[in-house]
Amino acid sequence: MSVEAFNVTSDDPTRRAPLVLGDHDFESITDTVCGVVEKPKPPVAWYIAFTISSLFALLFFVLLAYLFGVGIGVWGVQNPVGWGFAIVNFVFWVGIGHAGTLISAILFLFRQKWRTGINRAAEAMTIFAVICALIFPAIHIGRWWMPYYMIPYPNQMGMWPNFRSPLLWDVFAVGTYFTVSLVFWYMGMIPDLASLRDRAQTRTRQVIYGILAVGWRGSQRHWHRYERAYLLLAALATPLVLSVHSVVSMDFAVSILPGWHTTIFPPYFVAGAIFSGFAMVATLLIPARQWFGLKDFITLRHLENMAKIILATGSIVGYAYSVEFFMAWYSGSAIEQFTFLNRSLGPYMWAYWIMVFCNVVVPQAFWIKRIRCNVWLMWCLCILVNVGMWFERFVIVVSSLANDFLPSSWDYYTPTFVDLGMLAGSFGIFFSLFLLFCRYLPMIAIAEVKRTMPQADPHYHSAAIGVED
Amino acid sequence: MEQLANPDQREEKRNLDDGRTWFSTPAAWVGLILLGGGGAVAFFSEDRLQRFLQSYLFAYTFFLTLALGALFFVLISHLTRAGWSVTLRRLAEDLAVCLWLSALLFVPIILGLGHLYEWARPEIVANDALLQEKEAYLNVPFFILRWVFYFTVWIGLAHYFYRLSGQQDETGDPALTLRMERLSAPGMLLFSLTITFASFDLLMSLDAHWFSTIFGVYFFSGMVASFFALLALLVIVIQRFGILEQSVTVEHLHDLGKLTFGFIVFWAYIAFSQYMLIWYANLPEETGWYERRQEGAWMWASLVLLVGHFFVPFLFLMSKHIKRRKGLLAAGACWVLLMHAFDLYWIIMPQKHFGEAGRIPFHPFDVVCMAGFALLFFAAGRDAMRRRCLIPQRDPRLAEALAFENES
Repeated sequence: MSVEAFNVTSDDPTRRAPLVLGDHDFESITDTVCGVVEKPKPPVAWYIAFTISSLFALLFFVLLAYLFGVGIGVWGVQNPVGWGFAIVNFVFWVGIGHAGTLISAILFLFRQKWRTGINRAAEAMTIFAVICALIFPAIHIGRWWMPYYMIPYPNQMGMWPNFRSPLLWDVFAVGTYFTVSLVFWYMGMIPDLASLRDRAQTRTRQVIYGILAVGWRGSQRHWHRYERAYLLLAALATPLVLSVHSVVSMDFAVSILPGWHTTIFPPYFVAGAIFSGFAMVATLLIPARQWFGLKDFITLRHLENMAKIILATGSIVGYAYSVEFFMAWYSGSAIEQFTFLNRSLGPYMWAYWIMVFCNVVVPQAFWIKRIRCNVWLMWCLCILVNVGMWFERFVIVVSSLANDFLPSSWDYYTPTFVDLGMLAGSFGIFFSLFLLFCRYLPMIAIAEVKRTMPQADPHYHSAAIGVED
Repeated sequence: MEQLANPDQREEKRNLDDGRTWFSTPAAWVGLILLGGGGAVAFFSEDRLQRFLQSYLFAYTFFLTLALGALFFVLISHLTRAGWSVTLRRLAEDLAVCLWLSALLFVPIILGLGHLYEWARPEIVANDALLQEKEAYLNVPFFILRWVFYFTVWIGLAHYFYRLSGQQDETGDPALTLRMERLSAPGMLLFSLTITFASFDLLMSLDAHWFSTIFGVYFFSGMVASFFALLALLVIVIQRFGILEQSVTVEHLHDLGKLTFGFIVFWAYIAFSQYMLIWYANLPEETGWYERRQEGAWMWASLVLLVGHFFVPFLFLMSKHIKRRKGLLAAGACWVLLMHAFDLYWIIMPQKHFGEAGRIPFHPFDVVCMAGFALLFFAAGRDAMRRRCLIPQRDPRLAEALAFENES
């Protein structure tokens, strides 16, 4: 069976699609992936993208300086909407950060071998998204020089953080998630960093990658330890994928505010996070596989699988919207009922319907195979999903606060240019970091991809020459 | 004509070798007599009818969830195009078609609606403003209509997969797999919506004032965890009779153990989310439900549920060595099934209109109903299983399942 002749997106149940296309052997995979990093210059598109995103990152820092200089009055937050863009952005970015660990941990435990093509980039994306996320609560506290107050440590003032506050649980949940994701990502990268070290042409590269590769020699013992650690980390990271966004959802759900307090929030937030995370992975990898010539490893099949996960998780999100709506009516509570009518027909109805359209209607297009296999159409739909998931958090945070129990305190929330600029700027930071990652680190888990190839089967060579085993 | 992937496995026994239909088995008759006799005793002593129906609902829900769990497994196997589970899928198909029995046994619940659900009693609704508001949903005709719809969906799906998979045994046509995969996605959508509303109708509306958006997920998590336990147990039992000794290996049991473990943790996560959010917000319209489960003896029951449904199986099933030993895994599976039944008991029994608060109302009816249902479902399950080979022997991915091994 020739690999070229085989349609990778075929649904034929009698065979499994190959995960690596082209005439690749182990050496050519290393050459292709390391080649991205070793080329003297990246493609022109990289320069253009990096210029734009770093300008936005710069914008973020300029606005940050302005914010620090003047105070959070420069934001649109007011009374009663005390949680504005900063919290919306925080939840949005934490959500984006879910796909990486889902792919590397949960799909690993489910033996989904196609994850090997995308896990490295997705994990990197996770780290960068969580970095973006962590900035917002840190500056939202207003006294940005005091975020260390959130960490419980014995001090002479005898002051402790409020352990009953879910905002503090966030510090632990997101902090743990960031640490474990970083360790997972870095540990998985060690064999590939060693490859880069061994192939280095300059002394500088050799030293830097050498330090990063922490003495990896590829001995059998190294591999044995590595795989044990990988399995253990996967098992530890799996509950984290669920716990982080569950805790984030509790920021809202432990309150008594209608629209925030509902029991389905934890699993619903997790599904939404995976949904948006996968959409972001696709948004990043569709151009990246094109620019860096990685289409043999991130095949159409990989993208189709991601489209299916987006459809599945988007449907779970749609399920949660419907159950919430139904239960608001079923509860018989006038305030619950008002909240949901207000969301869908009140002053923020534009945001609500953008959310429903992007999160529930748009992914339904992925029922159609031709759309799942149309790369650039999929890319556009994934961007819409990202837009929708940002609006979901906007609807939750703002509409519930703006119209609460007491009509006399209602107000309409309007973001300022600082809010908008910081949102755009956080995308700048995120894309800049991701582009740097593409340029300096191996974008594909070389060793893991090799393991999924037919050549990795110990019987491959004996089968090729017709020896019975 | 049998195409076996591995020539060594030709000798394996893959059929029940049993000619009896479900109604010609003693189990079915004893089961019917138990339920009928219990019902008759209750009916002729008017005050006990409600108590009998509570037990009936308890046993009914237990077996309904197991059959639905089987349907879920069939759907998810096709949806994910799973290879490892092919040799287990037929057993799930056979258990899922038992849903016809659930449909049949639903009739007594409809007849006894007024005894079980306050919203079905006009004299109570007339004095309850909240129930009047919910009347558009909680009323007898719409309830029956919904359940007709749920059963149409469930039985329709179960039979579709049962039938096509059986056809494939004869023709070996891979296109049938493709057809089943195509239906599995919309099937899953329908499944998730129907079980959600079924859980609201059957269990949540027992306390018609109370509401919780996560309730459908809670129902689902317990259902799936206990189904995986049941499947592991079923495999271990039939293997003792020399059936499927080779095509289902310790690797499959290991995976069933992992899935049981995983869904036990998922159940705990969902149960915790529901409890924690209600406890923390402390709103009277929500806390009542838990308060009744923390009064008197129910407090102990709640703690048993916490320890028994989560900590014990969590610690027990964590080890790979336990999951790979049949006797230990079977013990774990029995425990999980027991705890699932206890969970349903804990949901159903402490209702205000069911009697005194703070007392666990054990009654011989509980055992009678459980035994009656168990025997009926045993007969129905065996009837589905005896009709054909116990693995989909010409499934295009059979070879994958036969050769499957866990790494490390």
